[in-house]
Amino acid sequence: MCRIENILLYCLKQLNGERTIYSIYHLLNGKKSSQTLQDAHLFSLKRYFRILEPLTRESFDEIFSKLLENKLVEPCGEQRFLLTPAGEDYLLNNEQPYYVNGWRYQPFTLLVWERLSLLVQVTSNFTFHETKYIPIQKNVDVHNWLKGFLKSTSVPKQELGRSLFSELIEILELARDVNPKVLIFRLTGYKQIGLTSSQIAKKLNIDSLHFHLEFINTIHCLLHFVENDPSRFKVLSSLLANLDQNDSLTLSARKTLVLLNQGFTAEEIASIRNLKISTIEDHLVEFALNVKDFSINSYVNEEIQHQILEISKRESTRQLKVIRNTLKTVSYFQIRLVLAKYGDR
Amino acid sequence: MELENLLNKYFGYNTFKTGQKEVISSLLGGNHTIAMLPTGTGKSLCYQLPGYCLDGQIIIISPLLSLMQDQVEQLMKFGEKRVIALNSFLDAEKRGYVLRNLTKYKYIFVSPEMLSLPIIMKRLQALSVSLFVVDEAHCISQWGFDFRPEYSKLGEYRDQLGNPLTLALTATATKKVREDIIQSLDLQNYTKIESTIDRPNIAFYIEEVPNYYDKQSRLIELVCQLQKPGIIYFSSKKIAEQMASLLAEKGISRAMAYHGGLDQEQRILIQQQFIHGQLDVICATSAFGMGVNKENIRFVIHYHMPMQMESYLQEIGRAGRDGEESIAILLYSPGDEQLPVQLAESELPSEQQIDWLFSYFPKEEKLIDHFLEMNQHLREDGGFSEIQWRIIQDFIKKPLEIYSLEHLKQGLKDFVNDRLKVKKGSIHYLKKWIKSESCRRELILDYFDEEPVKRRNQNCCDVCGIQFEQYHAQAGIQSYPVKDETWKDYLANILLNGEMSK
Repeated sequence: MCRIENILLYCLKQLNGERTIYSIYHLLNGKKSSQTLQDAHLFSLKRYFRILEPLTRESFDEIFSKLLENKLVEPCGEQRFLLTPAGEDYLLNNEQPYYVNGWRYQPFTLLVWERLSLLVQVTSNFTFHETKYIPIQKNVDVHNWLKGFLKSTSVPKQELGRSLFSELIEILELARDVNPKVLIFRLTGYKQIGLTSSQIAKKLNIDSLHFHLEFINTIHCLLHFVENDPSRFKVLSSLLANLDQNDSLTLSARKTLVLLNQGFTAEEIASIRNLKISTIEDHLVEFALNVKDFSINSYVNEEIQHQILEISKRESTRQLKVIRNTLKTVSYFQIRLVLAKYGDR
Repeated sequence: MELENLLNKYFGYNTFKTGQKEVISSLLGGNHTIAMLPTGTGKSLCYQLPGYCLDGQIIIISPLLSLMQDQVEQLMKFGEKRVIALNSFLDAEKRGYVLRNLTKYKYIFVSPEMLSLPIIMKRLQALSVSLFVVDEAHCISQWGFDFRPEYSKLGEYRDQLGNPLTLALTATATKKVREDIIQSLDLQNYTKIESTIDRPNIAFYIEEVPNYYDKQSRLIELVCQLQKPGIIYFSSKKIAEQMASLLAEKGISRAMAYHGGLDQEQRILIQQQFIHGQLDVICATSAFGMGVNKENIRFVIHYHMPMQMESYLQEIGRAGRDGEESIAILLYSPGDEQLPVQLAESELPSEQQIDWLFSYFPKEEKLIDHFLEMNQHLREDGGFSEIQWRIIQDFIKKPLEIYSLEHLKQGLKDFVNDRLKVKKGSIHYLKKWIKSESCRRELILDYFDEEPVKRRNQNCCDVCGIQFEQYHAQAGIQSYPVKDETWKDYLANILLNGEMSK
């Protein structure tokens, strides 16, 4: 059941009073802190990671105080809570949403939705032989994906509508405890514009968070079925093509990379961005780790790179201090760069 | 081939709208052309069609990214694939490809910022540009309501491109502004095509209501009575939202709010629902309108006082594009002018904000350009609104000689003061127009230095006399049965074209 109360109770049970309730908030919000990531693992809550990005702290507090009011939870320390017997009962009587898997699917849930939405619109217009219409999705990457799909698919254009229809129906009819309306009424086709999320929520008489959860559950349901049996869903499996997850860089590092590519030096970037040079150096280390083809040669000459790697290997150490003690002229920054670029990870 | 044949072949229309053919013929005759065509008469076609007659590229300068995007989409909708928009949305990788293959494109949309980059200019110079189009050309003039400093260098860019055949397009420009455009673009000989700003099928109706409360109930009454679809413009997102839900809840109309606070997907859906007749009323802020090519809008109501005549005319100009009778209503209550004045002030950064911001600037001048971009947090820390921030960014990017930071700062302050003066003048004029007891239409024509039109039919404006009932909806045709479609039917309807699988 896609109620946020249901999920909160489940998380509280898993935490067993060992973390504050705000660790749940960060989990649902998808905060990328090492604490939150570790907690998700430790308490087996990965499936709920990042599933409620739009949740504000205020509405979280509000929902939580209702649980308290209804005596489903009781305090067991500073901002720590345990389930009451009534809370335990609630969990027994209500299933968790079946398909939600935030850890696995959230990185590309939005992208998959945008693809599906455009795919349905384009297919529908094929079906009705219409070539003049305004695409409902504006993301250029999604447009490019669609072009690629149309070039490579073996399904003829005129049969696309039928295939897509039967694949969607097959999944949504088999699915357990999902409400297909939250997805289907959002779709746009030939001369039929889809509803906005708020319009559907109103129509179904549910609040926006409830809608959000139902929607995510439905998309994850599609992903679940398609992933388990891609050959059975020829059209829908294309939604999963080339989902690159190149968001390993922090936001700040990305900005630095933009400037770096425009030819600014590290010092200039620090000045432009009003940041310490050491922060920019941290970013450069991130690039050495994550950006393919990022050359560190302009920061450490190749001779020194060899020496650093040599010592690291000989002493079988990655400790900067040990290396530095041997190579007095080399900076810590340079050592970090070299280890990030070439050290075994 | 006859122009009409081209029109039909490429765009599927049979006849030209007012002014289009004149502009196109003028261009094809090799004349620089400045065209003032009223909103809704298909200005874009004036450069789209010549593309099929002229060899070489057409470069279109457009002030707003969203406008540019919309024009690209419109062209693509007609099956034209050789279109590209050079703006900051284009990612670095794609940009490299595009710049290396510019000759593959016919229609190249460029933002003024992009033109200021030497690398872009160099690539454009290598093309044979057959037409240089300045869209929304009133942005060139500091007397215009939408002056954009980055537009002031367009004459120079045009020169760098070898003074190609030029088309300056605008919907609303006073004489002063038009003179500015010609001078700034340095057009020696040119053809002027000015179609009248007048839209005879739109009646003006100004109604004074005693206070805020009465205004709300009067609006509800009007929406009840009037023939739909229609647009209601507000100056506040919040009130637009409130009125939309009020209208929908009372079952008066299928209404939705539209404003910049909604995410992109919602905005597109609501706009498209309106165009496809799934909604009757949009409660909008000025964010609504671009790309809304809907022919049968019957009324435009202004709930708050607009900021100036030019934007007011653009907004009401969305009514009656099918030529049928339509009405523009403005609800005024005493003191309404305070809101636009506040808005005008809040759109501009204050002196204190400017001083504060400049204390953070780097000493090295070549870094200033990037400084703001990379320090977006200053925007929040200094309490700058999006518009204020954009004004500062634009001003700083303006490729003028900078003698010193102090000089730049003073320049910005002077700029802000000048803008405020122009804006307050416009609001003042609008108030005068509302309070005036002469024909609304004549005053508007006078504002744009046009000759008064001959007395038209009886439905001119509230001063000349108007038969209000004519704009009323016919009784009994306005119920909307709630479609109770299952999700399977819905999906079948859009994907299967009637061959419902059982």
